[in-house]
Amino acid sequence: MQGVDLDIRDREFIVLVGPSGCGKTTTLRMIAGLEEATSGEIYIDDQLVNDVAPKDRDIAMVFQNYALYPHMSVFQNMSFGLRLKRMPKDEIKKRVAEAARILDIGELLDRRPRQLSGGQRQRVAMGRAIVRHPKVFLFDEPLSNLDAKLRVQMRTEIKKVHQHVMTTTVYVTHDQVEAMTLADRVVVMNGGLIEQIGSPEEVYRAPRTRFVAGFIGSPTMNLLPCRLIANGSGLEVHLSEWLRLPVPPERRQRYQGRVGSELVFGLRPEHLTEGRGELSPGTAAFDAPLDVVEPMGMETMVYFIVDGTEVCARVNPAAAGKAGERMRLVADLNQMHLIDPKSDLVI
Amino acid sequence: MTAITAGTAPSHIRSDQLRRAAQRRRILESVGATGLGLFLIAWTLFPFYNIFMVSIEGHNDVFSSHVWPAHPTLHEYWVVVTQSYWYLNYFWRQYGRSVLLAGSVTGLTLLIGSLTSYVIGRMRIRHGWVISNAALLTYVIPASFLAIPFYRLAQDYGMMNHLVAPVAALVTFATPYAIFIFQNYGASIPIELDEAARIDGASPLQIYLRIYMPLMAPALVAVGTYAMLLAWNDYLYQFLLLSSKASMTVPVALAQFLNSDEAPWNLMMATAIVYAAPPIATYYMFRKRMTAGLTLGGVKG
Repeated sequence: MQGVDLDIRDREFIVLVGPSGCGKTTTLRMIAGLEEATSGEIYIDDQLVNDVAPKDRDIAMVFQNYALYPHMSVFQNMSFGLRLKRMPKDEIKKRVAEAARILDIGELLDRRPRQLSGGQRQRVAMGRAIVRHPKVFLFDEPLSNLDAKLRVQMRTEIKKVHQHVMTTTVYVTHDQVEAMTLADRVVVMNGGLIEQIGSPEEVYRAPRTRFVAGFIGSPTMNLLPCRLIANGSGLEVHLSEWLRLPVPPERRQRYQGRVGSELVFGLRPEHLTEGRGELSPGTAAFDAPLDVVEPMGMETMVYFIVDGTEVCARVNPAAAGKAGERMRLVADLNQMHLIDPKSDLVI
Repeated sequence: MTAITAGTAPSHIRSDQLRRAAQRRRILESVGATGLGLFLIAWTLFPFYNIFMVSIEGHNDVFSSHVWPAHPTLHEYWVVVTQSYWYLNYFWRQYGRSVLLAGSVTGLTLLIGSLTSYVIGRMRIRHGWVISNAALLTYVIPASFLAIPFYRLAQDYGMMNHLVAPVAALVTFATPYAIFIFQNYGASIPIELDEAARIDGASPLQIYLRIYMPLMAPALVAVGTYAMLLAWNDYLYQFLLLSSKASMTVPVALAQFLNSDEAPWNLMMATAIVYAAPPIATYYMFRKRMTAGLTLGGVKG
């Protein structure tokens, strides 16, 4: 881990996202004080906490496997930290009751963790964090042990809880959907470095690096080797003998210096769709020989090959062609990205 | 019974045959298992039967050949309990010392073993493996070889006839096993529990007392039983280190019965049965907990 420079605002919901081994969990554990930072400084509320023990950092953490104490009831689990602080019994009861109400687990307070379902354990783990009224919540992939349906449900639940208690939250996940739906700001990490910090909208619309472009979004952005060429007064992206796409005039200034160089062209599947009547400015139509067609219900993914690279387009099921046929597709080049393959930065 | 009937069986006759063969095999299996079980029970209980029979025989009946004594009596037990025989003058004192010895060995073994495993396994001190390996290394030398050095040590430090001496010796032999078992068992307790407790504000000692120890209960019971039996069944060290009549424990006192010409076998056996009662009671008390999986459900399930 190196060069992680992150400033989290009060009450903000920050999501650290990235592939496994990218350092997001380590970052979280350093904030928690479970891992020692060999260099650099960590501040909570303008207080340097590098040498402060976890318990004195005023944080609460929800673990991936929940880490509920198996020999204690739900009430004892949630109140453990408060009892250690020798808080008055009435206050403990009040706080647990309040958290139980927010999380709707009032019925479960006398149960043991092993008598709970995965979703209930998850709630108890959150309850244990809430009762402490900490300055910061830390979540370490809290939903990765739940099945798909429950995960979506709990995701909404976490969002609700945050809106309710409004505590600064740092949330770690490898699931970019979780990152997009939960975050005020997303921190995309890779190889121990921060690739980009921005709102979900920003990292989706304007990725700063090739990694972010490829990581955020599902299905992933199409990335194709290309050459930028001048065509009269305009610019064109040369993808193959049969596929050249015009660069919108507004981008001409930005790309002018790169004419003639080998670049990487990026376009999301959702910006490559079936032709719908008149072409609007900045779009270009072409015929593509379909290789694979995947109906998903709401939409259909069609794949074709451009010089050995598979390209995905997201089309209306009614308009989708059949595999082996040619289909007319429209590329929205207002949404295109060009990436310098040497620096991996988006131009 | 649930015979699996193949869907493609050519005829009913064939599936009937299969079912009968499976039934036969099951009967054979249960007969075999029952037979083996009965044999093992007999094998285990036969010495007990002998001890018990001798203990309820009248004094003159000893070693006469019969399956059950002609005039069974509990008189010998009365003699033991009331200490009314010259070998048994200190019986309850000796019994108390045996209990104290076993209790101290058990308690110290559990305390030292659990603290060591906690420090090595949970607090993750550097080079902790050296400690656990060094402890296990002591098993390279058979315990009986160390009897003479221990005897000399006890003499040099003036600990002869003190309970401290056999307690120290037996704790030495029980602790490495305890550390080994605790470390293995402790590895099944997720480290996240400790981390959660740390964030909750627990000190290492509080984590040890309120998280680690309760979750280690099955291992504590298993090792505790082992240490208790080790002390209870030991003869060599107690014999070497406790020689005065007032300081000795029951096993040593029991062996004294054979010192004179007169050998009161029935009294000796009655004493043995009274002595054997606590381990049996302990085992029955804890037999369920020895297999209880307390850690289930704490993490993802």
